[in-house]
Amino acid sequence: MTVNGELVRLENIHKWFGDNHVLRGIDLSVSLGSVVVVIGPSGSGKSTLLRTINLLEEPTLGKVIFEGKEITDIRTNVNEVRTHIGIVFQAFNLFPHMTALGNITIALRKVLGQKEKAAEELARAELDHVGLAEKADEYPSSLSGGQQQRVAIARALAMRPKLMLFDEVTSALDPELVKEVLDTMRGLADEGMTMVVVTHEMGFAREVGTRLLFTDGGKIMEDGKPRDVFDNPTDPRCVAFLSHVL
Amino acid sequence: MATEIQAPAEEVTSPPDVRGPTAPLPAGILAAGIISIAAVLVGLIAVQAVYAISGDDVTPSCRENLVRGVEDELIEGALGVCNIVEGLRSGTQTALLIAGGLAGILAVVGGFGRYKTMPTKRMREQCISGAVLGLQGVVIALVIHLFRSSDQVFIFSRNFLNFVFLKGSFGAFLRGAKNTLVLAFGGELGGIVVGLLLALLVLSNRRVVRAPARTYINFFRGTPLIWQLTFFYFLLRLGFGIDINGFTTALLVFGLNTGAYSAEVFRAGIQSIERGQMEAARSLGMSYLQAMRFAIVPQAIRRVIPPLMNEFVILIKDTALIAVLGLTLDEYDILVTARDGFSLTGNGTFFIAAAAGYLIITLPLIRIVTNVEHRLRSGLTGIVGGL
Repeated sequence: MTVNGELVRLENIHKWFGDNHVLRGIDLSVSLGSVVVVIGPSGSGKSTLLRTINLLEEPTLGKVIFEGKEITDIRTNVNEVRTHIGIVFQAFNLFPHMTALGNITIALRKVLGQKEKAAEELARAELDHVGLAEKADEYPSSLSGGQQQRVAIARALAMRPKLMLFDEVTSALDPELVKEVLDTMRGLADEGMTMVVVTHEMGFAREVGTRLLFTDGGKIMEDGKPRDVFDNPTDPRCVAFLSHVL
Repeated sequence: MATEIQAPAEEVTSPPDVRGPTAPLPAGILAAGIISIAAVLVGLIAVQAVYAISGDDVTPSCRENLVRGVEDELIEGALGVCNIVEGLRSGTQTALLIAGGLAGILAVVGGFGRYKTMPTKRMREQCISGAVLGLQGVVIALVIHLFRSSDQVFIFSRNFLNFVFLKGSFGAFLRGAKNTLVLAFGGELGGIVVGLLLALLVLSNRRVVRAPARTYINFFRGTPLIWQLTFFYFLLRLGFGIDINGFTTALLVFGLNTGAYSAEVFRAGIQSIERGQMEAARSLGMSYLQAMRFAIVPQAIRRVIPPLMNEFVILIKDTALIAVLGLTLDEYDILVTARDGFSLTGNGTFFIAAAAGYLIITLPLIRIVTNVEHRLRSGLTGIVGGL
């Protein structure tokens, strides 16, 4: 299904929120196994860009092509496509009325139609994967922010996605909890997962990213290897941005 | 002074009491306030109890007053009514009213006059509490006195506190309470089903889906319930020729009407769930309805329990509107039972009994709503994890 190692492609994506022109012509191709890190000032459209990939935001103009199929086509079964694209949010968005295990099994059972026992086995394996096997029966409210975020990652991974999206997943965490989440993501990258990561963690961007995008004003202004962009930025706004955050 | 108030070093289980010590004057003012309200209220109950138990004679003067303006020489329940009035007009009651009134005045003057000069928080609170209690005592004492000294007290007691008339109607009231509860529970259950469905429609992005639900809600919220009852009754019976009785019609209308109101409650509850919950559910591949069913509604239900229970209390009282429809004896609710007793005997004590019946049902519910609201406000964790 994958064309020339390309997993997902955005073609001339525009997005308006009312009169606010947030994305102004995004073209992007993400190849299998790459870790694309997106940085940029707030309001630059990076989160919106990420969320158009699994159609949480429907682009006003343009096409999203996933595994060679245009998923912005109105006839596409969006629910089916989303089972292949995991997303982790800044605010965790765990279901507070379900245990960690329940958070993971619900979609396995109701969307993928797995039997309860099989779903539970898979969920426990994924919790073990993120180092939270012993928290299976805890409710989100009794977990720390970092633990909640790792459960959220496990919940997305359990669907066996081909692509993982991370939307500022450490921004809501206390500083001492950031590392455990980044380590989990690093492990995932090492396993070869294709990832698109919106983040403010420049260290992570440099070390884990295979490709770095800088967005500003709804456009991709820089696109290259992280080391090249960090060391030799060409876009003046990227230079200014990096001088502020580094 | 400041050095005396120290926060305990460790193992704090509750905050320290920093209200400070008291003194004889403010403590006395509080005591005077308590004595005032106790003398008036507890005194009234005690005197009434004594007269109810020991009074076994209808005094001639009472009989004379009691039959004034009435054809019948023999007043039913004369003894009970005379006991009430004579208790009210007894010397003991007078003494209690004077004592309570004086203590109250003392507390009001002392409390309101001095509270600003009190050096500690506890003293100030005691002054204010004592004064307020005293004020309540004085006002109630005055009302009792005005009531008992008027001639109207005989007529009022004869007509509304004549509990002899209730003899033998306990079973009827019990059946009335059962019917009231059947109507309220049935209506609420139907209302929840209708309301949840309407709420889902109203929340749709599509105007064509929202419009009919909105019309339904506006109609049932915009017309009087009593109109709905009568209209549907005649619509079904005459308009459609359906052999439906008043009770079933009422059950149906209460459900339809409550549905409109609970739809708004559910809508607000669902909209109060963070947007991220819907996004998380949809991003896992759930359809809109699956996301609602598994992620949103279970959370919303917990938040709408207090407002739904409030509505249930309102519905319990509104079931009394069934009085406008024709009912068979078996279908009488509390109010119709009382009205029936009234029209048979001409005595209004049945309405007092009806009020007591409604209160016995609603007061515990109101209490529960307050508790649940308190639990919800003191942090969602307990509710979310525990329920």
